[in-house]
Formats: sequence, C-alpha cells, structure tokens
Amino acid sequence: MGSLATRFCGIDLAHPLLNGSGTLDALAAGTLGVSAYVTKTVTLNPRAGNPPQRIAETPQGMVNSIGLANPGLERFCDEHLPRLADLGVPLIVSVGGWSREEYAVAVRRIGAHPAVAALELNVSCPNVDTGCISIGTDPSETRALLERCRAETDRPLLAKLSPSVADVSAVALAAAEGGAAGLVLINTVRGMAIDRDTLQPLLGGGGGGLSGPAVKPVALHAIFHCRAATGLPIAGVGGVACAQDCLEFASAGANVVAVGTGLFRNPGLVEEVVAELPGLLERHGVSTLDDVVGRAHYHQGKALLEVDANHS
Amino acid sequence: MLQVARVEAVGAYTLLVLRNDGGEVGAPGQFFMLQADPEPSGAYLSRALSAAWADAGEIAFLLDVRGAGTAALAGAAQVSVLGPLGRGFELHDGPAILVGGGIGAAILPWLVRDLPGPVTTLLGFREQRHAVCAALIDADATVVLEPTYVTEPLARLLPVDATVYACGPDPMLQAVAALCAEHAVRCLLAMEAAMACGFGACYGCAVEIDGEWKRLCVEGPVLEAGRVLAGGHDG
Repeated sequence: MGSLATRFCGIDLAHPLLNGSGTLDALAAGTLGVSAYVTKTVTLNPRAGNPPQRIAETPQGMVNSIGLANPGLERFCDEHLPRLADLGVPLIVSVGGWSREEYAVAVRRIGAHPAVAALELNVSCPNVDTGCISIGTDPSETRALLERCRAETDRPLLAKLSPSVADVSAVALAAAEGGAAGLVLINTVRGMAIDRDTLQPLLGGGGGGLSGPAVKPVALHAIFHCRAATGLPIAGVGGVACAQDCLEFASAGANVVAVGTGLFRNPGLVEEVVAELPGLLERHGVSTLDDVVGRAHYHQGKALLEVDANHS
Repeated sequence: MLQVARVEAVGAYTLLVLRNDGGEVGAPGQFFMLQADPEPSGAYLSRALSAAWADAGEIAFLLDVRGAGTAALAGAAQVSVLGPLGRGFELHDGPAILVGGGIGAAILPWLVRDLPGPVTTLLGFREQRHAVCAALIDADATVVLEPTYVTEPLARLLPVDATVYACGPDPMLQAVAALCAEHAVRCLLAMEAAMACGFGACYGCAVEIDGEWKRLCVEGPVLEAGRVLAGGHDG
C-alpha cells in the first residue's frame, strides 16, 4: 500500500487533506486531522462580519454571508499566531485586503513568523463589496498584487480564486506570472437565498457564497482549466465529501484537496477520508494521489485540450 | 449513531427518543447536532437541537417538523448525534421561573427535573395543539395562547426572588429580558440561530452579544440576559 505523504509548494504534508480557509477554527475545535491548517482570512483591520442571518441551507450545500469576520492583523499576530504555531501541522495563513498595500503589510508581518509555511491571498471573497474579489476578477490587478506581495516575503504565495468570473484560467495565469507558487480553487460561488415565508433575502448581507457538493462540478472545471493554463500546483476545494472526490479533484489537476462545508456536517470527515484513501488508490492501481494528478487531461495518450484545438 | 427508541406525536409537535449508549449528555440547555439516517435528500446540514431530557439511557428531542431536515429526523431509523455542545443553563439554588414560547418549551422538561428549588412554569403557544407538550414539562404549568403573550403572567409575578430561565422566539426573549432587567431579576436565555457546524468553525450563528457579533455556539446558546438585551445591560 502506498503512502499518503506528499509535498505541496515546498511544504511536506503527512497526507493530502487540508481545510478550506474559514471553515475550521482550530483554536476552538482542534485540527480535526488536517495535514496543514489554513486560517480564516486575516485583514489589516478587525472586522465584525455581516449581520445575521449568515447561513442558509440550499440543495446539496449552503450559502454563507460571514463577511470576513476576523480580529485584524495586530491581534491575529499577537494572540492567535503563537497558539496556531503550536498546532503541530504546517500553517497556511489566508490574507485579504482592500488594496495592494493592505495585502503587502499583512504578508510582510505574517510571512516573517517562523511558523508560517505559506500565505494564501484571498482575492475571491464574495461577501464584501469592494477589495478582495474585485482584485480577483481582474487579471492585471491580480498579477500586480502577486508581484507586490512577492517582494514582501520568501514564503510561497497561493492565490485563492473565485469561479464567479468570466475566465478563471486568465486570472490564474496572471497570478502565476505575478509569482504565485500555487493556486487554491475554488472560493464559494456567488449565490443568494430567499426566505420562504417573507420572500425577502434570507441572508443579512443580501447575497453570499454557495458551498458544498452543489459546487463540486464548478470546482472541477476551474481546476481542470487553471491546471492546463498554468501548470501550477493546486489545492482543490469545493464540495469534497469522500475519498472518491479526492481522486476526481486530483484527476482534474489538484495536488492536494481541502474540505470545508463537509466538515460542518461531519467533523470526522478528514480522518475518514484519510483512512479510506489508500484502499481506493490501490483499486485504481496507483500508490499515491500524485499518480492521479492531471489524469483527466489525457485520454488514450492524447492531451484533451489539444484534441479540443484540433476540433475547433 | 444512536438508534431511535420511539417517535410520538405530542399535539402539533413530535417527540423523538434516541437510545443512548451511555454517552455523555452534558447539561440542560446545551445542544446537539443531529443528522438523520437515512440522509434526507432535501436537507444538507445537521440540525441543532437542545434535548428535552437526556441521561445515560436515552436522549429525547421535541421537534417542530417544518421541513425536510426535521421530517427526516422524525422518520429516521437511527440518528447521528454530535454533542453535547455549547454552554447550557447554570442551575441556581432557590425558586425558579421557567418561561417557554412555542417550540422553545422543548428544552424545559430537563430543567424541571434538574432544578434544585421550587419551579413555576409559564408557557405560551400559538394554538391548543401546540400546548399539548405542556404535560411533558409541568402538570401545574400556566399556559396562555395567542393573542395572550407569556410575558403577561410573568409580569404579574414580578418582582420576585427567583431566577428566570427562558427559551422561545427572539422577540419573546427580548421582552422577558427587559421585564427581568426592570425588576433586577436574574434571567438566563436559551437562544437560537441558524448553525452550520455547531462547534465554532463556520461563524454562521453570529448573534449580538456584549455589543458585538459573536458565535452563539461558542458563547451560548444559554446567555445571561444582560449580554444580549437590546439597548444595554441590566442590573
């Protein structure tokens, strides 16, 4: 039986299962078995988040409108980071902001902490009106942000992208050109929910971000095309609920897989998937998830995107 | 995964009793995340529910079956149970006044059983069929139906040297908290919010506590009334 140990953007991992940013408070709930812990997005100033109601259940998923609630850079570095450093797994800190300079300040400060293995630039939160996602919808802004942050730290920078754009692979390519070491795909898909009784928007923030198994096909599509466009290592996120999903995400082009909404309904999910994965890999005749990565890009020895080109 | 021992109609509500296998049940007012097996196709998330009563032998929940999630629980063969979670009621010595509104009354039987002092129970419901569950709580309960609010019998008892324990819809809790603040009576509220995880991960259950949005699953669901009273603190 093969090993689940892997390497992602220079980070050694015991297995390929991470958490998605904002889906696990490890200081409250523990690491729940993840091989690297991704923090909730930190912004320069503290944010109270959006007014309730913040979550709405939807078919095979949920829409959230949390709004980047976080203690702000100062308190995160003083109070949270020292405790997160003791979790015993590599730490990936997610950073958000409203300007290049805000990201740069946070990246410089957080990237200087010895416990931080990598930084994730969240340019895709659907629950704020400006900043963040408005950077991630624009390839040239995304490239400039990566270049600016690249100058502030020697740690790997990961770009977390939104599928709610016309062409996510163009944004991914821009992130790669700006110096991203890897991609995190996908953030939640823009969505909303209507209260069945009042027929008013259910969420306090109006709209929100859809997650859960409902978005898995969207994630697979984004991963597939961003992999083809950039060749960068990818952390796949979006509705992962079982070991089979991990193989499918890997086949689309993800090197590691993150769970999020699945943890909400089953905090034991990572441990279950990690236990199930070796047997499933064996049934597919491979020993590691790495052996599957990108397999969907080839059919009978031909690269699918080339096949497409021949037919167009 | 706990086996369903029995399911009974209690007027408009449904009593779901699970066979406990000796697992920890916590204290009245704490809550559990429940997921039906077989899984409902129309409900993705677990349901956050406080127990009607619980011990080493059984855990009981009173359900208001409204959608696919609660319907699946009422029809489940077994139920996945995560908990106990959050902070429950701190039980104070001396007389107690229990105030329940609608399905909020669901968590009161356990309190009646565990409170050390004499208990007065006040319950408010929409219609008589909802009030049937009063028999599970306190045979001597004062029951009012809409348009009468449960705050009316409460107001007649105040001021009083007792602790008030309340659970019900937010407007009722705010009214109870305001009355208790006016008469300097200690008041504990069991609150409700839409929850995805129940253990602090999702930040979905934010409620204004101490003047800022905080996670109800971590801070509560039982809170000193002064921490959530709109427009300031009591005492």
